Amino acid sequence: MFDAEEFIEKATKKVKEEVKGRALIAFSGGVDSSVCAALVNKAISDKLIAIHVDTGFMRKGEPEQVKALMKKLGLNYRFVDASKEFYDELAGIEDPERKRKIIGEKFIRVFEKVAKEEQIKYLVQGTIAPDWIESGDDLRDTIKSHHNVGGLPDKMNLTLVEPLYDLYKDEVRKVARALKVTVSERQPFPGPGLAIRIIGEATAERAELVRNACDIVEKEIEVAAKKGEMDLPWQYFAVLIPIKTVGVHGDKRAYGHTIAIRAVQSVDAMTCSYSDIPHHVIDTISSKITNIMGEKVNRIVYDVTNKPPSTIEWE
Amino acid sequence: MVTIYVIDNGGQWTHREWRVLKYLDVETKIVPNTAAFSDVSDVDGVVLSGGAPRIGIETSLGNCREYLEKATYPILGICAGHQFMARFFGGDAAPSKVPEFGKIELSRIKDDDLLFQGVPKTSIVWESHNDEVTKVPDDFEILAESENCHVQAMQHKTRMLFGLQFHPEVEHTEYGEQIFKNFVKICEK
Repeated sequence: MFDAEEFIEKATKKVKEEVKGRALIAFSGGVDSSVCAALVNKAISDKLIAIHVDTGFMRKGEPEQVKALMKKLGLNYRFVDASKEFYDELAGIEDPERKRKIIGEKFIRVFEKVAKEEQIKYLVQGTIAPDWIESGDDLRDTIKSHHNVGGLPDKMNLTLVEPLYDLYKDEVRKVARALKVTVSERQPFPGPGLAIRIIGEATAERAELVRNACDIVEKEIEVAAKKGEMDLPWQYFAVLIPIKTVGVHGDKRAYGHTIAIRAVQSVDAMTCSYSDIPHHVIDTISSKITNIMGEKVNRIVYDVTNKPPSTIEWE
Repeated sequence: MVTIYVIDNGGQWTHREWRVLKYLDVETKIVPNTAAFSDVSDVDGVVLSGGAPRIGIETSLGNCREYLEKATYPILGICAGHQFMARFFGGDAAPSKVPEFGKIELSRIKDDDLLFQGVPKTSIVWESHNDEVTKVPDDFEILAESENCHVQAMQHKTRMLFGLQFHPEVEHTEYGEQIFKNFVKICEK
């Protein structure tokens, strides 16, 4: 079995050997980067600076939560609002791989800027096994370019440190519990954020739509799980499908977008089965989303595919 | 301690095979399929991983041929590794009429084979294949099948060589860990 204490001991030792001087950590506020920060902070403490980039594709209330978390973990931190730059770079881009690569490169450029100001050489990332496996290599097909591996630019001025490289999410959570990191049970959220939950062009306006839809899906599912009506899925969110279909709103023709609900059971993200959400919960989500979004969204579908053949996120 | 290496043919789940073996307290590491046989000779068994689409039927699959020729220890071929094993021993593999992805029901054909000890007659396994074994080598026999794939598992009649079309290494395969435990036991002997 996986021994979290043993892992922490070995990883801390290795980070101490690897990092000579100060380091930057890419901090999204998710389980992987939080564990990584706690681990590296243990190894090199005040030589670590956490950096959080607001891409404009974060979930509702997330930037504030992340700030609070960085404070709570006792990290030196920098918060960079780069949302305008991300929206600009992604304008007109529809291909999911191009989106992921643009986002990956943009992250690095923001990190490099801060690293230059602070004279830092090392970039710590919470990369885990599925990130590099799915990004592909000489032997492996690329399923999707994860922003922190396959999305990295060819040329960059930072040396990567990735202590969680061989772990899967369930193992990272074990390390999180051992390190008493409060976000240990938080559901996974991809680095490119809501940009890959918008099929097609990821604009600020569409981000707002899918952000609200994700918020409703999360809240309703969490309430139902708390009441014991269902198990909390491994991951649960909304996807914006920008094709238009016909509806009827107040005796008038409506012509709006579609939102898909996605909820899955998994352990390590390498395989998943779709979650069995009770119909009345799907019903509540459907009514709430379509009523709140008015003319923008008039159709809700539920994704019933496993991985394989699908993947968890749609892009 | 038993030592079993995982030969990496470029599968999405190669690293999962390594993890399952590690969890079973096996001394293990992932070795690229370009490694010389001398690098994988001092072990108690190997797993030939799956690989990118078509690799099992079109390419030479690295040095897998050499491992199959020279090794005397047990070998477990998975997906592309299984298809290559069939071709190496005189069988054949070709594109599936109905490729399988995700959840499939597996049915055991025999009830006394070592690899499936403790696995019920039918169980849920996870699949991900475009190709499959279409002709079982003469020296092999079929251990399990599914509705759309006749050769889900095969075993050499006299040697400890096994091939599986499905993926025992993923979490969603119900008795995957049991199958690995059985393989580890076979390698211990």
